[in-house]
Amino acid sequence: MELVLDRVCKSFGGVVAVDNVSVRIPRDEITALIGPNGAGKTTLFNTVTGFDPPDRGSITFAGKRIDGLPPWRVAGLGLIRTFQTPVGFTTLTVLESMLTAATPYSMESPRQVLSFGRKAHRLERKAEAQAEQITTELGLGDLLDMRTDELSAGDRKLLEFARQLMAEPKMLLLDEPAAAVAPASIGKLSQLVRQLCRERGLGSLIIDHNLSFLMQIADSVHVLDRGVLIASGPPADIAADSDVMRIYLGGEEVVT
Amino acid sequence: MTSPIFWVGVLTLALIYGSLAMVLNVESGWGGMWDLGVAGLLASGAYCYVILTIDDPELDTKFVPGWPMWLAWPAAALFTGLVALAIAVPALRLRREYFLITTLAFAEIIRQLIVIQTDLTRGTTGVANLDRPFDTIVEGRNYNYVLLGIVAFTALVVYLITRRVGRSAYGRALRAARDNEALALALGKPVNRMRIKTFVLVGVLIGAIAPVYLFYIRAISPQLFAPGITFTIWTALVIGGMGSIRGGVIGAVMLIGFTEAVGLIEVDPAHINILVAIEPFLVGLLLVAVLRFRPEGLFAERNTFGARRGNHRTNRRPASAPVGPITGAGTAAAAPTVSA
Repeated sequence: MELVLDRVCKSFGGVVAVDNVSVRIPRDEITALIGPNGAGKTTLFNTVTGFDPPDRGSITFAGKRIDGLPPWRVAGLGLIRTFQTPVGFTTLTVLESMLTAATPYSMESPRQVLSFGRKAHRLERKAEAQAEQITTELGLGDLLDMRTDELSAGDRKLLEFARQLMAEPKMLLLDEPAAAVAPASIGKLSQLVRQLCRERGLGSLIIDHNLSFLMQIADSVHVLDRGVLIASGPPADIAADSDVMRIYLGGEEVVT
Repeated sequence: MTSPIFWVGVLTLALIYGSLAMVLNVESGWGGMWDLGVAGLLASGAYCYVILTIDDPELDTKFVPGWPMWLAWPAAALFTGLVALAIAVPALRLRREYFLITTLAFAEIIRQLIVIQTDLTRGTTGVANLDRPFDTIVEGRNYNYVLLGIVAFTALVVYLITRRVGRSAYGRALRAARDNEALALALGKPVNRMRIKTFVLVGVLIGAIAPVYLFYIRAISPQLFAPGITFTIWTALVIGGMGSIRGGVIGAVMLIGFTEAVGLIEVDPAHINILVAIEPFLVGLLLVAVLRFRPEGLFAERNTFGARRGNHRTNRRPASAPVGPITGAGTAAAAPTVSA
């Protein structure tokens, strides 16, 4: 079960955001995608998750073509993404957000008004127990009844991660998980992501600007520049690649 | 003061508007679909019911089906559900104010169709002296109490249905998609499909309420379904609190009670037109006053959901709670507290 991109292209007007990208993301590894601002990282995420379908090329997940599918179908196959700015479901509480992520959409139809079965109730109890476990692990356990818009930026970032785990992903796409996290906590975050992915046999693809964070966590790294994939390899090799470092440091990006 | 029978009538009308406001809350409060086409759906249900029950050939309509009430009633609900589906599919390609304009336009189209199709609807003439349930058994003034019973029962059923929606995973998903559509999609929710289904559910419920409204009015004509009724229902919902379960019905009782009470002010006959002119002004004043002191309405959505039932957990983060293992810059200092 892996995510395969084959010659994927996406442009907006005359601007080519993703240019002929071919890459394999293995199922049980942590893969990092780096590149300066405007390199097309988030666009690539949007292309994979169905928010911005590719113009050309194919995307396969677990042997199934997913390009052209609407976002909710892609998510249904277990490809779950997070968002760069963790807005969340603003008026829902932490627990409600977690339960929403865990509930299959077939249980969220007006037909539920007519069904008096026990199945929904049982699913809900099970999800509640799971939500308590995950939030406790992430240190959000005391905040279950807080509304999302009342959380601090750091806690919202954690909720973004915790919530998407409730959807039982087969692969996680994390869009800048380390942004807005205090530098002192980065070590803990990378430990946590690693541990969770190991435990669950979860693959993940991570975009971030924080190179030291990614180098700690990733099994392999891909470098994107102006929509083109320019280098791939284990973190140590990428860090030693002078071309990559020049592009990175030559850009506007400040590397921490 | 006026007779109790007057206030029975006021309460009856208030509960009809209240039922409609509770239904509107499902799609606009929780679903985030700002619908200004309530009048159109109400008209669809009401006309379907009337056309199916016509049994007098002298009315000169194309069809004289003469269906019994109990059969025409659910038929009106189903028909309105179909009308809602036909509106939802194109209109839900739009969001927010664009959806609002489109639904308003559809409601006006429906009203114009009713005016034009004279051989079906009798156009602007309409139909008068409609039959009402049990009106052969209870007659005259006492029938008002029977009607209040029917309307109260309808309001209760609508309340129980909407409450069930609100507390279900379905209601939660509606609110989630309203708060953040992209995130709902990223979690595998077919947002548009869910909204279309919701709009159909709303159509069915409004179609079921429509005959009850006719029992109160006793006649039907297109003027009944001018946009004014939609705005009244919206006002009731906003006063009562969008997103709360009972806000709609409480808001309607307040609004209609207030409006009717204003009508009771005794003035010199010479000034009667001033009073009539001032009525909408006073209603506006009520709305402003409520929103000034309770911006989220009398009952707020934030008090409707949240803390789990039967759970004694407080909403306040304990002062001694350990700060999570990973916290963003300045998290601890900014940790908000909520008054319980």
